[in-house]
Amino acid sequence: MAEFSGNLFLRAEGRADGHTVLAGQSFRAPFHLSKPYWDADAGILIVQVVNPTAGILAGDRLESAITVESGAALLVTTPSASRIFKMDDGRSAESRQQFTVAAGGWLEVAPEPLVPHRGSRFRQVTSVEIAPGGGLFFVDQLQPGRVGHDEAWQWERLCLDLTVRLAGEIILRERLDQTGEELRALAALAGSGPAACFANAVLISEETGGNWRDELKQLHRDGLWLGVSALRRGGWSLRLVAPDSVKLRQGLREVRRILAASFPKLGADLRKL
Amino acid sequence: MSSDPVTNTDAAWLVGLLQAGDSFYPTGSYAHSFGLEGLVHEGVIRDRATLREFLFRSVLPSLRQAELPLAAQAWQAFGVEDWTRIGELCRLSAALKAPAELRAASANIGRQRAEFTALLHAHPLAGEYLRRAAAEAWPFAAAVSSALEGRVLGAPRTAVLAGVYYASTASLVSAAMKVLRLGQNASQTLLTEALGAAPGIIAAAEQVPLEEIGWFNPWLDIASARHESADSRMFIS
Repeated sequence: MAEFSGNLFLRAEGRADGHTVLAGQSFRAPFHLSKPYWDADAGILIVQVVNPTAGILAGDRLESAITVESGAALLVTTPSASRIFKMDDGRSAESRQQFTVAAGGWLEVAPEPLVPHRGSRFRQVTSVEIAPGGGLFFVDQLQPGRVGHDEAWQWERLCLDLTVRLAGEIILRERLDQTGEELRALAALAGSGPAACFANAVLISEETGGNWRDELKQLHRDGLWLGVSALRRGGWSLRLVAPDSVKLRQGLREVRRILAASFPKLGADLRKL
Repeated sequence: MSSDPVTNTDAAWLVGLLQAGDSFYPTGSYAHSFGLEGLVHEGVIRDRATLREFLFRSVLPSLRQAELPLAAQAWQAFGVEDWTRIGELCRLSAALKAPAELRAASANIGRQRAEFTALLHAHPLAGEYLRRAAAEAWPFAAAVSSALEGRVLGAPRTAVLAGVYYASTASLVSAAMKVLRLGQNASQTLLTEALGAAPGIIAAAEQVPLEEIGWFNPWLDIASARHESADSRMFIS
């Protein structure tokens, strides 16, 4: 199968009429962009990043850099899960993502989940830089594998690395670099079951008031784990664990609905079926 | 302004580390369960068996991949007075702890350890650390302050990491005795088993590079986040 050194560069700018446009864009396979859609109600430009190949394959080197300038609002999502396929002969794949938000800009990054297959080796390095006054809602989802094929927690190596900086200072660093067996055992201990799915979310914004944190905490029930806690400065960390992908999807949908009351740009329709 | 030379045969650093790791030493760690109480509230940890599973599946790997490497890196940095790196490690320590309670626990214990080191030993390294931390608004970090203690006492790196390892596991088991039906024999046998794993974990932690520091347990983070607003609780964290 073909290997890709794909890249994606986007730069969103705010126009004088309040709309957001892609002032700069370039991409190379396996990245492809759907036609951007302006959600007038939420005031945000929605971009679907499509991978027309089957998924992430051995040797793939993916690089993306997305910048949101002052006055712009951008939502980046994907139409389907990203499968990470089995990789032979010690080969691996890597994705490097850079997100930058200027003061007065807003970026939501809400891709569909990563699904690491048996024998896959994948590293994702995500770096987020936000200027004071910039806003962000970033969500990363992980499924344990092809649960429907009775294949879970069987990746060879999976490393998900996230660093968030506000005004140049690191405020959050997360690193998942565990074996499938290590995570499966933790899921079993917590009672989340053999198909547990995860979502890590980061919300960076000025305090808007409202009782959204109390409402979010009420979602912690019926097997869905949810916690929200303030970061050292500038925002909040949200974590979700669900016993399966359907419950995780429902949980995330509820999270966005609750947050949208205080952060209206999260009211945008992700345009998923 | 260098620290005391490392002398493995010097009993001075050994008794100093014993003092710093003793429950009598006022770090405030007795008031923290480091997420354990939250996991007990969630029904995850219920008895010795589930506590043991948590210890070996989460606490020890987290020490290996996060707290011990932080302390090891800080010990190196204090040795050459690399203040830029020490500031980075303080901020990294805080950034690695998404739940506010876990972050505050490390910061409070770290502050207490650093200030006590300066008070008890009047060592210029401790004074300079406190001065720079205040001037540059570094968050205090328990692992960094333990490294400072070790450098001031002249203790070798492995001994400092052993002290962090002991203090972390003993604090957790001690907290468990207050929130679980766990007796002396059950807790001490478990602690002994955990301490038996120390040499391998410390050796592995010494090899973790800065960019690979971190560990992932979302259930612990969620339980800790929910503990912030629990109706009743015995521990601060």
